[in-house]
Amino acid sequence: MNLRELQINFQHTLLDAKCSGADWVRESARGLSSRDRLAIYHNAYRIRLKDVLLDTFEHTAVYLGDDWFHKLAAAYVRSHHSTYTNIGLYGREFPHFLAEQLADDNEVSELALMDWKLRRAFDGTDSTVMTYDNLQYLANVESGSISLQPVPTLSISTQHFNTLDIWHAINQDQLPPAVERLPQPIDILIWRKGHSPHFRSLAKIESAAIACVCSGDKLEAIGAALEKDFPDVDVATEFGVMLHRWLDDEIISIASKNVDDDAR
Amino acid sequence: MTSGFGLGLRTQHYKDFLAEPQPVEWLEVISDNYMVNGGKPLAMLDQIRAHYPMVMHGVSMSIGAINGLDKDYLRKLKTLEQRIEPMWVSDHLCWTGVHGHNMHDLLPLPYTLEALQVIKRNVDQAQEVLQRPLVLENVSSYVEYKTSEMTEWEFLSEVCQATGCQLLLDINNIYVSAFNHGFSPISFIEGVPVDSVIQFHLAGHQNNGDHLIDTHDHSVCDGVWVLYRQALMHYGYVPTMIERDDKIPPLAELLSELDIARAISNDVLNSKIAI
Repeated sequence: MNLRELQINFQHTLLDAKCSGADWVRESARGLSSRDRLAIYHNAYRIRLKDVLLDTFEHTAVYLGDDWFHKLAAAYVRSHHSTYTNIGLYGREFPHFLAEQLADDNEVSELALMDWKLRRAFDGTDSTVMTYDNLQYLANVESGSISLQPVPTLSISTQHFNTLDIWHAINQDQLPPAVERLPQPIDILIWRKGHSPHFRSLAKIESAAIACVCSGDKLEAIGAALEKDFPDVDVATEFGVMLHRWLDDEIISIASKNVDDDAR
Repeated sequence: MTSGFGLGLRTQHYKDFLAEPQPVEWLEVISDNYMVNGGKPLAMLDQIRAHYPMVMHGVSMSIGAINGLDKDYLRKLKTLEQRIEPMWVSDHLCWTGVHGHNMHDLLPLPYTLEALQVIKRNVDQAQEVLQRPLVLENVSSYVEYKTSEMTEWEFLSEVCQATGCQLLLDINNIYVSAFNHGFSPISFIEGVPVDSVIQFHLAGHQNNGDHLIDTHDHSVCDGVWVLYRQALMHYGYVPTMIERDDKIPPLAELLSELDIARAISNDVLNSKIAI
């Protein structure tokens, strides 16, 4: 057996649901049989991946409870082989997997997506945050026709349930509230400020404004779009308030365009 | 080459290293943990690097993979290497997966001439990117292959000769593999070229009676301390560190363990001088 065949065979033994023996392993006169020796690697692969899911989806695991989370994590490991060099990225499809597996309990996948995005924001791309002075300078130079750039760790997800309340309760070691479908879906903004991932819910006008920012629209175009979609709002005043908050929250960057795929 | 004794930098000890100088001469960082785009890991790394020399230690290069190395991984590794300017860059003499899969484990290689050629090809590629000799560590193993044509230490020697790479000997891994496969750990130590060894790891393992598991979540056992003493007698002084990867204790506990290594090293080296 050449090296290629051996590595494919070994890998297959680890990925296979059951750990079978292999005739390319030397049978030892002492200790374990060759099958038991392979089982050490077989089991370690599964334990390692389940551990990383538990670490990444901490709030989701608490919400589901140990047994249920363990079963779902084991099913995910069976159906999703790792293709990531960085083991921390292994759970990328887990929120979608939960949405499929728990179609009647979609707050779980929303919670998992929050866990995932907060984790990705933690070590997402650095950028230079825009300050009031930077903005003033740009406004003078560009005569008001400037475009803003979100920090690379920024992402938005839409929630249809009281998932945010559930997350807060779990985070404070409290009993989560009963799940409720929201009258209207809400958008959740997630990003990193300093070294810490942050999140907050967005009003519709702010969500629309941030979507324009992410699209690279210039300020004038953003204002025009908001006036069209929110005719009853004093857009100039409202936009000034939002801009103020964005700078305080450190969600606007002055770095060159830089998309952080991991945060999406 | 650096001198002195080091520790593996772990997130649990960031505050300790930032609060005040700690009695270690250098730190080893897990390269993979810092091959990220930003945030706290890199910020902490930069701050701590300002006060301590570092070495980089990776777990995912997969130097023995038949498919060859991941160019993106090498590019990120090089970026990190340029950022922290380590004394050396190490990874493991193993493979971690093929055909796009990753087993996230340090899987053993067969000790064959064919595997040697694959490693030579891959080490050449890594050294070309890094522009420095690669350092390779022996792994703990639980299986041996029927196709192996030489011992692990003979294979390590061949790898060094063929590639010019250097060695990080994990004394615990030698102990674990020797127990699991029934070879003499002294034969291993005496079989590896002295000039190639530039670092020692000391770690703990889990004793399951009829086999040992390399968990790196225990303190160093007596048998490994004895083997460390024998390694020092053979190699002379080698920079040494305690490597704990799980159940991370308070820093003081690891520093106490490192003091044991210092004492053994002083004892052995003073004895050699006296002789």
